[in-house]
Amino acid sequence: MALLEIENFSFSYPRSEQPALREINLKVEKGEFIGITGPTGAGKSTLTYCLNGIIPHFLGGSYQGRISLGGTSIFDLSPAQISRLVGSVFQDPEAQLISPEVEQEVAFGPENLGLPPAEIGKRIGKALELAGIPGLRNRPTANLSGGEKQRVAIAAALAMLPEILVLDEPTSELDPLGTDEIFKVLDILNKEHGMTIIMVEQKTEQLAAYASRILVFNEGRIALEGEPRQVFVRRRELEEIGVRIPQVARLAGLLGRYEGCALPLTVEEGHLYLESILRG
Amino acid sequence: MQRKAQIKVDKLTYHYGTGPPVLKDISFEIEKGECIALIGQNGAGKTTLAKHFNGLHRPSSGKVYIDGTDTASMKVSELARKVGFVFQNPDHQIFHDTVAREVAFGLKNLRLSPREIEERTAAALEAVGLAEHRQTYPFNLSKGQRQRVALASVLAMRTEIIVLDEPTTGQDFRESVQIMEIVRKLNENGHTIIFITHDMSLVARYARRVLVLCRGEILADGDVRSVFAAPEILKKTYLRPPQITNLAQRLGRHSIPPGVLGVRELYELLVKMRREKIGCCN
Repeated sequence: MALLEIENFSFSYPRSEQPALREINLKVEKGEFIGITGPTGAGKSTLTYCLNGIIPHFLGGSYQGRISLGGTSIFDLSPAQISRLVGSVFQDPEAQLISPEVEQEVAFGPENLGLPPAEIGKRIGKALELAGIPGLRNRPTANLSGGEKQRVAIAAALAMLPEILVLDEPTSELDPLGTDEIFKVLDILNKEHGMTIIMVEQKTEQLAAYASRILVFNEGRIALEGEPRQVFVRRRELEEIGVRIPQVARLAGLLGRYEGCALPLTVEEGHLYLESILRG
Repeated sequence: MQRKAQIKVDKLTYHYGTGPPVLKDISFEIEKGECIALIGQNGAGKTTLAKHFNGLHRPSSGKVYIDGTDTASMKVSELARKVGFVFQNPDHQIFHDTVAREVAFGLKNLRLSPREIEERTAAALEAVGLAEHRQTYPFNLSKGQRQRVALASVLAMRTEIIVLDEPTTGQDFRESVQIMEIVRKLNENGHTIIFITHDMSLVARYARRVLVLCRGEILADGDVRSVFAAPEILKKTYLRPPQITNLAQRLGRHSIPPGVLGVRELYELLVKMRREKIGCCN
């Protein structure tokens, strides 16, 4: 059974004529790293709201279809139940940190579960370690860099021991260093700890390098889906939808000679690919 | 006679309150009509520096001159006629209930005639593709559209110098291209452009000169090609050139130059190389 299963799911916001999501079908297995991209208004964030309980608990609207997590319909769960299963990280690091100190921030969720202090302490240590920031435990959150703040948000999500981590454009406010920090942490979480990740992101060059599967949303639908190479080879459709194609893949598309070998997506792959062309 | 720079920054040092200096003894000049990208990691001092151009910050020591006049002797309202500033977050600058009123606000402060205000508002909204949203409540627009409202407000002022602080942050790919194409046109029409960004592919595509800031100092200042050709310098402020430049730099032994800026450029170099190779074998 898939960890997450979305069946014929559609959603409309109140007083909206157009549905925000239209007949979404998706199965996510444990340990996958799903990258979601697409233009503004395509339904990417709405999908994350449906996964972390913001819809239907805090934003109204009407829906059809079903989303189940570990076999349970997610809309039958209370916000508290969802918060144990789905860890959320949002776009703006300033908006989601609520505590003056890192330790308190990460403790907030487990404390609300009523766990014994020793267990909370253990979880904080482990979560900070997984987020790559064990040294920040006693630091005030206000003085952290954007990349550090987002990793505190990731740690706070991990302290709930979620089944799945859902991130909505977590790097959009970050500089290149902060962006790298987030992708590296997610990569380790996914590959070494088997964490299932769903990440909405505009930075397709990094997404192509780290995600195991890419979904391109457009007008409330999944327009394209597959492994990064299968998706980024579809140049014309991506340009039409308005998705940035990694530069290396665009170059290979122009040269048009990757039959027999895979479409290069990263600088390293592009290097190997060009060396083989220049030799041949 | 020496040509006067449009912006001259002379030994500028700035600190917030009694804190450590955020800008340290910076000097450079900008000529009319340049298109400059200001890059560097968060906290490098980019926004702090840019805010000196329109008087939102005043030097703790050193001078900033606009068209030869020391900004210390100029009011913010005077500077507003010379320098337009598009803030990073449009929601920090938008406060009117219709798009048209928002754009007209600065013009009213210039005490222009109603006809001139109307004409400039219409032209600015046309330029950013929001002509049909004149009467829309700004917060019913998407963030990308609101960013363009903020840009239109600055365009309408018709300042010679336009500063944009991360104009594409939070925008999707198409919106980013739209905004930067407007910026390109402004520059072609003679405006001096200074934009702050973290997106190196935008720097490669739109800027001609790049200023790299690192911990309040200028790490590099030059044309984009030569700055991106030296990745070891960029690395000091945790930046790296665009993916395609990075790729070209690994092909150095095939005599591909290190300052390739675009996909099309590398493609043409490779095609030419292949043609020459075939030519020599025949």
